[in-house]
Amino acid sequence: MFEIGYGGDETIAFSGRLDAAQCARAQAFIDAASAFAAFDFSQLEYISSAGLGVLLKTHKRLLAAGGRLRLVGVNRHIYDILRFSGFDQVFLVERAAG
Amino acid sequence: MQWIRVLGGPHDMTERSKTSDPGASGGDPLRQQREFARSFDALAEIFAFVRQALGRSNANDTDVYAIDMSIEELFTNMVKYNAGGSGRITLELECSQDAAVCRLSDPDSDRFDMTAAPDANIALPAGQRRPGGLGLHLLRRMVDSIDYDYSGRRSTVSFRKRFGSSQVVTETVAAKLADSANKN
Repeated sequence: MFEIGYGGDETIAFSGRLDAAQCARAQAFIDAASAFAAFDFSQLEYISSAGLGVLLKTHKRLLAAGGRLRLVGVNRHIYDILRFSGFDQVFLVERAAG
Repeated sequence: MQWIRVLGGPHDMTERSKTSDPGASGGDPLRQQREFARSFDALAEIFAFVRQALGRSNANDTDVYAIDMSIEELFTNMVKYNAGGSGRITLELECSQDAAVCRLSDPDSDRFDMTAAPDANIALPAGQRRPGGLGLHLLRRMVDSIDYDYSGRRSTVSFRKRFGSSQVVTETVAAKLADSANKN
């Protein structure tokens, strides 16, 4: 189960599991979204390399406009994936409390 | 090992399943096998199957994440790079008290050892990084071993995940990352 929508504080909120079968839907939502401050991952349980591709594409778009992708509420599993892939040094990453 | 048919269940109309009983001793590995359509849309059913197969094991949530993701990376590679292959992709999980062995098998493929793919260069600036190529890179950091076998047009990729080994792997990878950074 994967859901994406607008969250509080000008975020795009993700929930559930962002696997390869869900990336096209996530990318379409992000591409159509108005300005946002961050991706809220506090309800996102899982991301695979396909999901990382969505994040990289978004980051490049923001980079071209002088910005940088910010992820908030990142759980420890997803943080490990970001670290293994080096994206913890590319995106602004704020881990979930606890 | 005796194979028995799994009857009923929500997947029985679309998938072919087998399971082996752990036996009265309880010490034998529990082995379960199921075939899946060659489509990303099969992922939800795959994850449900993994939950069922690991249900009686000692896998913690970190182990389950690693197994889910490793299976997704291998399965989606088989789908992407051999979309025209015939037959379903078989996933077999063998669980013991302390580890799981997973095998994904494509019955109709050219020889392609995806496990030989080099690691991604994670030191590249963001502007030079490309989506893709991270799957095996990540898999190597989450499981204890990966193997490839090719016989009679059947490609089989297997990996072993020892339960509770994540911290050891994490430390090993941290050392590799530090070594890589020092070389750059």
